[in-house]
Amino acid sequence: MTTTAAQQVVIAPMLVALVVAIATLLSRRSKRTQRALSLVGGGAYASAVVLLARRVRADGAAVYQLSDWPAPFGITLVADELAVFMLGLTAIVAFAAVAFAVFYVDSVGQRVSFHPLYHFMLVGVTGSFLTGDIFNLFVWFEVMLMPSYVFVAFYGRRQETMAALRYVVLNLVGSAVMLVAIGGLYATTGTLNMADMARRLANAGAYGIDPGPVLGLAGLLFVVFALKAGIVPFQFWVPGAYRAAPAPVAAVLAGVMKKVGIYAIIRLYFTVFAAATVPPGAPLLTGESFLAFFGPVLLVMAAASIVLGGVAAVNQPDLDSVLGYSSIGQAGFIILPLALAAGAEGPLRVLGVTAALVYALNHAVAKGLLFLVSGAVYDGVGSIKFEDLGGLTGRAPFLSGAFLLGGLALVGIPPLSGFFGKLLVFDTAGQSLTAGLGGGPALAVALGGAVLTIVYVSRTWNRGFWGETSKAVDTARNPRALVVVVTGLALVLVAIGVGFDPVYRAAQAGAAAAVDTGGYVDLVDPTTASEALADGGNESAGSETAETVRGLLGVGR
Amino acid sequence: MTEREPTVIARTITRVVVPLILVTAIALLLQGHNQPGGGFIAGVLTVTAFALTYIIYGLDYIRTELLDQQVPATGAVESTLVRDLGPVFGVGLLIAAAGGLVAIGLGFPFLTQAVLFIEHVPLYEELELAGALVFDLGVYLVVVGALLTILAVVGLE
Amino acid sequence: MTQVVLAVVLGLLFAVGTFLILRRDVVRVVWGVAIIGQAANLYLVTMGGLSGAAPVLAHGASADVTDPLVQALVLTAIVIGFGTTAFALVLTFRVYQTRGTIDLSDDPDPEGVVADGGAEPEGDAGGAPAPPEGADGGDSA
Repeated sequence: MTTTAAQQVVIAPMLVALVVAIATLLSRRSKRTQRALSLVGGGAYASAVVLLARRVRADGAAVYQLSDWPAPFGITLVADELAVFMLGLTAIVAFAAVAFAVFYVDSVGQRVSFHPLYHFMLVGVTGSFLTGDIFNLFVWFEVMLMPSYVFVAFYGRRQETMAALRYVVLNLVGSAVMLVAIGGLYATTGTLNMADMARRLANAGAYGIDPGPVLGLAGLLFVVFALKAGIVPFQFWVPGAYRAAPAPVAAVLAGVMKKVGIYAIIRLYFTVFAAATVPPGAPLLTGESFLAFFGPVLLVMAAASIVLGGVAAVNQPDLDSVLGYSSIGQAGFIILPLALAAGAEGPLRVLGVTAALVYALNHAVAKGLLFLVSGAVYDGVGSIKFEDLGGLTGRAPFLSGAFLLGGLALVGIPPLSGFFGKLLVFDTAGQSLTAGLGGGPALAVALGGAVLTIVYVSRTWNRGFWGETSKAVDTARNPRALVVVVTGLALVLVAIGVGFDPVYRAAQAGAAAAVDTGGYVDLVDPTTASEALADGGNESAGSETAETVRGLLGVGR
Repeated sequence: MTEREPTVIARTITRVVVPLILVTAIALLLQGHNQPGGGFIAGVLTVTAFALTYIIYGLDYIRTELLDQQVPATGAVESTLVRDLGPVFGVGLLIAAAGGLVAIGLGFPFLTQAVLFIEHVPLYEELELAGALVFDLGVYLVVVGALLTILAVVGLE
Repeated sequence: MTQVVLAVVLGLLFAVGTFLILRRDVVRVVWGVAIIGQAANLYLVTMGGLSGAAPVLAHGASADVTDPLVQALVLTAIVIGFGTTAFALVLTFRVYQTRGTIDLSDDPDPEGVVADGGAEPEGDAGGAPAPPEGADGGDSA
């Protein structure tokens, strides 16, 4: 079967990032060429994502079989509305961050392979969003994490090294746990393809799957995703790692990589595991969907994240720490509607996921912007500690304006996208309350969290940007190129809020795709190939042969 | 490391073993696409051979005798070696990616592989050319480049 | 019997790994992580079933083979684990260089944190030479 150009578009973003990573790696002798390649590559990546998004909007979701192995035997890439939404968010932040990095990272940093590593990280992120295979997800996680380890240790000073050690050890343990969960899922469900797994779980009895262990393994996997998303109680690595990483990378870590964890939660729990039912005899919720089982857990974690992140962000000594703790709270805001959606059905579930997606987009762009502002301030003033800052509004109006916009987006002031994000979160909570699904505590937490956000944003503004001009600020130089990039991203942030309608529709389509298990299974279509292989006959013998051959094919992985 | 000279036994065994390791590595590389082996393990074996030579004979020997290079003043040795090794890694990645991109150029999905059997070759009778070999070769170079870099850097420390 | 032995071994490996991670010595922590990673790999192999047959199916042979998929997965996981462990070791060395100790709880120079962890540009310029060639090699394997 030959593949047309329209189908090749699915893999285009990943390939572009890969080729750019290799090109920047090979051009390390010439710093100038490397920077140019990196910047052009960032633009090419964004263009590839736009192409893919247009194709998905025109012809619907697309599937790509790597190496031409049919699902469920080969590795499948799935570009549905959900994946494309996340890729769009990635493209915005990644392009802005690479444009920033071209001017921000000095030649010493370039010698440490900043640009190749950055694009390898993008390859990993893109792969995580596109893959339809759970082990492949693990591989992309690792591809994404390894450059991030180097980035956290980038400046190699005492604090950074310790933060990196903590980050690396934690994520290595997370990887081991993920491997254990994936191995267990393969042993119990007999497949690694997400669509195939959803299909088998929906009909667990026929495939001889015991849902009990699957529930436990899903819980284990959940821990890993929560760790990546940085929500309580797996949040403690977040501020240190963000503080240690170079500013453009911190923007990607907070803006995009956090969302990979959230995407994995949406994809696996709302699409795949939602098909399974809790076995009789399990405590609580017997006979309900797995998703309903995870709802309360998500709710507690989201509430704790909002409170802890918000409170801790109020009194921090420097800009990056405020942003780091704020990320924990904001991740809580993304998880909160998911928790309510998990316990709901139908339109309310779609609404909850839509709210989470909109909020994720808002947080990605706003927090990315704020980290870039912090980087520009550091570049100009030489410090991001509040004791050295003050009076930036007079010296750097554009930078201060960008910070204000980012902060207001976090708070949720119309017409910025943060307003719509918060609105949808409150809408979900309100509807959940009227439907009698217990949205009350969620509503209270969201309100408290919104107040905390206002407190820490305005306090940061007062301490860092208003007031008397400090000595450091007075003698600061003006990093003009960085300010231009930051201003550009700020305009994008405004544009998302002003032209919110298409964004909302994209998020809604993504949410609808996320909760449509049947549609996802039909799209990937793991049935045809496995039935051809099993060749009828009795189920157990057939699937055993299928297992054997699948294994053989799997060698090609 | 020149303080203690390795024994004659160690030197002699190294001379015998290193070619064997390298031949095994190449065999593993070539059969990796349909039998146990592959680029990764072949690369690791190759680096083992280099590491053995490095430990027994020292880095200067590798540079002067094997790579036919001048030895600059001590200290600069490892860093130039690191710079020389950099491209190996990149080129390996390039080969691996290009092998997959060829499939796209021909209108197949990324990384699609093909096998070609050439009959009636003297000595071999039947020769198997697999597309996967290109990918394996790329992986081999990546592993060799990366591990030798680590070796050189750690050796410097 | 094999299953029982493997289960016990796996349990022991995870226990030892966890124990080491909880130590104060950075090198032990990295060992612990490596052991847990290997334990996960071993666990993954057992997930394919333990029939005792070879994982490679020859042309026209009977269906008596061990599931080779898990072995392919483990190979991938080993390669990844190899790269990350190498990086963790480089990092351990950096920790020793910047702190002068590998003990996590005991900081001989607490003032140093303020002096060099801060954001002063001087500290930046004079900062320790980057480790990096090794670091970027380590991530790739």
